[in-house]
Amino acid sequence: MFEDKSYYLDLFKVTEQQLRSLARKGMEAGGSYCDLFFENTACHDLLLRDGIVSSGGFHVDYGVGIRVLDGDRTGYAYSESTDMKAMTEAVMAASKIALGASERPAASGAMHTAPPRMGLRPENHYPYVNDWRLAEASRFVPALEKLQQSISSKDSRVLKVIVSLSDQVSDIMMFNSDEELVCDTRPLGALAVSVVFSHEGKTENKTVSRSYRTGYEMITDELLEEIANEAVAGIDERFEARRPKGGQMPVVMGAGASGILLHEAMGHAFEADFNRKGQSVFSGKIGQKVCDESISIVDDGTISRNRGAVNFDDEGIPGQKTFMVRDGILTSYLHDRISAAHYGVVPTGNGRRESFRYAPIPRMRATYMLGGKSRKEDIIASVKKGIFVDQFSNGQVQIGEGDFTFFVKSGFLIEEGRLTMPVKDINIIGNGPKALSDIIAVGNDPKIDEGAWTCGKGQSCPVSCGIPTVLINNLTVGGE
Amino acid sequence: MEENDMEMINGMLSGKEIDLASKCIETARRLGADRVRVTLSKSLMELFGTLNGELDKVNHCLDRSMSVSLFVDGRFGTFSTNRLEEEGLGSFLEKSISTVRMLAPDPCRALPSPDRKAAGAVSGTELDLMDPDYAAVSSDQRLKMAMDASIFNGNKDGRLISEEGEYSDSIYDSLVIDSEGLFCRHCETSFEYGVEMTIIDGGGNRYSGYWWDSAPRLRNLGIASCGATALERALNQIGPQKIGSGKYTMVVDNENSSRLVAPLLSALSGYSIQQKNSFLTDTLGNRVFPEWLDILDRPHQKGRSGSRLFDSEGVATKEHSIIEKGVVKEYFINTYMSNKMGMAPTVEDATRPVIPASISPGLANPGSLDQEGILRLAGDGILVTGFNGGNSNSATGNFSFGVDGFRFKDGKILHPVREMLITGNLLTLWNNLLAAGDDPRSCKSRQIPTLAFKDVDFSA
Repeated sequence: MFEDKSYYLDLFKVTEQQLRSLARKGMEAGGSYCDLFFENTACHDLLLRDGIVSSGGFHVDYGVGIRVLDGDRTGYAYSESTDMKAMTEAVMAASKIALGASERPAASGAMHTAPPRMGLRPENHYPYVNDWRLAEASRFVPALEKLQQSISSKDSRVLKVIVSLSDQVSDIMMFNSDEELVCDTRPLGALAVSVVFSHEGKTENKTVSRSYRTGYEMITDELLEEIANEAVAGIDERFEARRPKGGQMPVVMGAGASGILLHEAMGHAFEADFNRKGQSVFSGKIGQKVCDESISIVDDGTISRNRGAVNFDDEGIPGQKTFMVRDGILTSYLHDRISAAHYGVVPTGNGRRESFRYAPIPRMRATYMLGGKSRKEDIIASVKKGIFVDQFSNGQVQIGEGDFTFFVKSGFLIEEGRLTMPVKDINIIGNGPKALSDIIAVGNDPKIDEGAWTCGKGQSCPVSCGIPTVLINNLTVGGE
Repeated sequence: MEENDMEMINGMLSGKEIDLASKCIETARRLGADRVRVTLSKSLMELFGTLNGELDKVNHCLDRSMSVSLFVDGRFGTFSTNRLEEEGLGSFLEKSISTVRMLAPDPCRALPSPDRKAAGAVSGTELDLMDPDYAAVSSDQRLKMAMDASIFNGNKDGRLISEEGEYSDSIYDSLVIDSEGLFCRHCETSFEYGVEMTIIDGGGNRYSGYWWDSAPRLRNLGIASCGATALERALNQIGPQKIGSGKYTMVVDNENSSRLVAPLLSALSGYSIQQKNSFLTDTLGNRVFPEWLDILDRPHQKGRSGSRLFDSEGVATKEHSIIEKGVVKEYFINTYMSNKMGMAPTVEDATRPVIPASISPGLANPGSLDQEGILRLAGDGILVTGFNGGNSNSATGNFSFGVDGFRFKDGKILHPVREMLITGNLLTLWNNLLAAGDDPRSCKSRQIPTLAFKDVDFSA
């Protein structure tokens, strides 16, 4: 659909001539660049609680965000109407950023233009057959019920199950003062369960989710079974699990969801806005060795159906695969147009935003580490005393200091090279650059997690993460 | 005075928009809905951001949205749109009602009974949260306030490498009406300034400090001292020292103490209790906290951030005890959960929780109950001035949080500490409370002062 520009122009009730006129007006006060981001998003949700799907709804969000740049400076305004009067008012508000521009010295990095036609017709990274918008709620009710029944039948300790299905489809049209017109339609579905277990007076909970940029063909019997199996897996260990003795120790991060390590410890600090402002612990370190040469870290918007995939980012730059660290060397930050112009490099397609209400900023997509040579079993066997972790709920980072944390839902103690006592509900803390340099083994089992990860950086963005099994020599583990 | 000016003083919603909300109810009823609730909101936010003393960004954000809760043939759904053109309303509601009819019947879904609904929120200005001078604030003034707040260019400390500040103000207007005569309106203005300072020490280590203030009225915004406070918070972190893991007395400053109250309030939510996913299940009426601890809800304080006369169902808020002398006095049970659980309904959440100053019996009063006094009372321990990630298990209350702050001894701060974790159980933690200060920040909707706890497990 993203090649049919008339669909989008009609949807947003504008002509190309009007777009040109608005972009010109945005530059009148002296701005160096102007772009318009049109969005029409339709979201649906369904919720099963206490065995019935008795709650649901849909939500419509429509509008246009208008940005005027004056060098590194950003003026931003939006309108929930796309009539010319409302859009012109928003343009005027955004263009205030450039007032007095003629009296200032020329701003650094005034060119926000991407290299000539850097592929405005990229691959479609989220092919879909069945449009969520055309499906009625009744189509999905049986699937939610089946998933709940499947989970309940697999373990007698299941006390409560909540199943939620949410989907959204966004029609996006972008136009800029270089007269580039880019259109995209982005599907996103997420199926999640929250299960409460009760056993001998104790209660435990577990959540599992899957999310894909595709149509409703993602809802298959195989997916339901996969989620149900994961929901009840490891519950024996959860009831047995204890807090370990806290302190510094080696940590083996299991393949897949442990990619949260890369997201928090490295990814955010590689986002170029933090570096442009001198705030990141990785500021000024491009070209330097930051970890062992066996390590390469990628941020990728091109994985088909992946939650972090982008045909175009939210500045109209084609989705791409960016090596942040290649063979241990910091090779690239993650750039939007502003930071790319600031550093004099090509934008990396990381200019993303939650909606038309937000100006784009550098954001991750799918962040993962390439596989190494070690076997998982050998990595675990190499640890005399430490912990193995593989399920997480959330993480956070302090950009300046580089201190990151992630919360471990479950894992095991490692004693004399063997997994022993189950552990749960512990936070792990470390320092990004130090943790990177402390990775001493990389597994040959790279895996990208397919859960519904959302990154918050003042605004939400769907992302994903992945990693092979890795051993970090020294992190601080919470405990008693 | 023209009608438009009048509307700006009373809020943002126009008579036409309020009429549209009423028409929405009429149309939904005509199309088959038995009962309808409509929430209409509108807001405007203006922001001026600076980077290192120069203007860096300008934002202008005008939002409208309408949310419609539909009760149809014993079924229920919630729908929303920001496309408020009258001509599209019929088809939006038609599709919404058709969707509701595909869901399972749920007899527990209902509007709140009339006697629970807020009656005193008519103009939206009853709580005195609107600055009458809001409309007179110009773009030039906003820009000047943002620029004047910056201390970057006048700063002589070469360690400061980045200052990022944001001045913003907003006006917010919301209306909740239903098909059984409810009419509740809430209007407020807010003025805010926040600034983050990043410094670098001689060893190339970066530290950041953030400070902010917010007030419903511009004249009460403490903008001038934010930059110096943020810089001081960054500089104070230079030279962190490692400490050993172990049990310490923990003091949490008034900027961060609400982080430890949030999971308690969440555990009192009817949704968590009904799903057996709360560590406070079956504690209503029982003493599970120290008998000298009170947590109140104070939503009717005029002119104070966070005050509100009604919840999202239009149910009247009230001043009451959540925890009284250590006893759980209230679960937050909305109409739906009330019908599901067979319990009396309340407001759906704590609106403006307050912990009054108090000290564990047997401890000597340190003279004052600000942070300094609480540190004196605590003697030796760790002052927490920042949280870094972590979480708690809602079913068990087990928590583990990343923290940073300062080691203190004899009530005096010794040195910064970082990369630490606190781990334990929320019930145990709160039963180890030593004191609650008298210094909650006025800009916060949760009025939680400096808190001190004994025997907290630190991993470092």
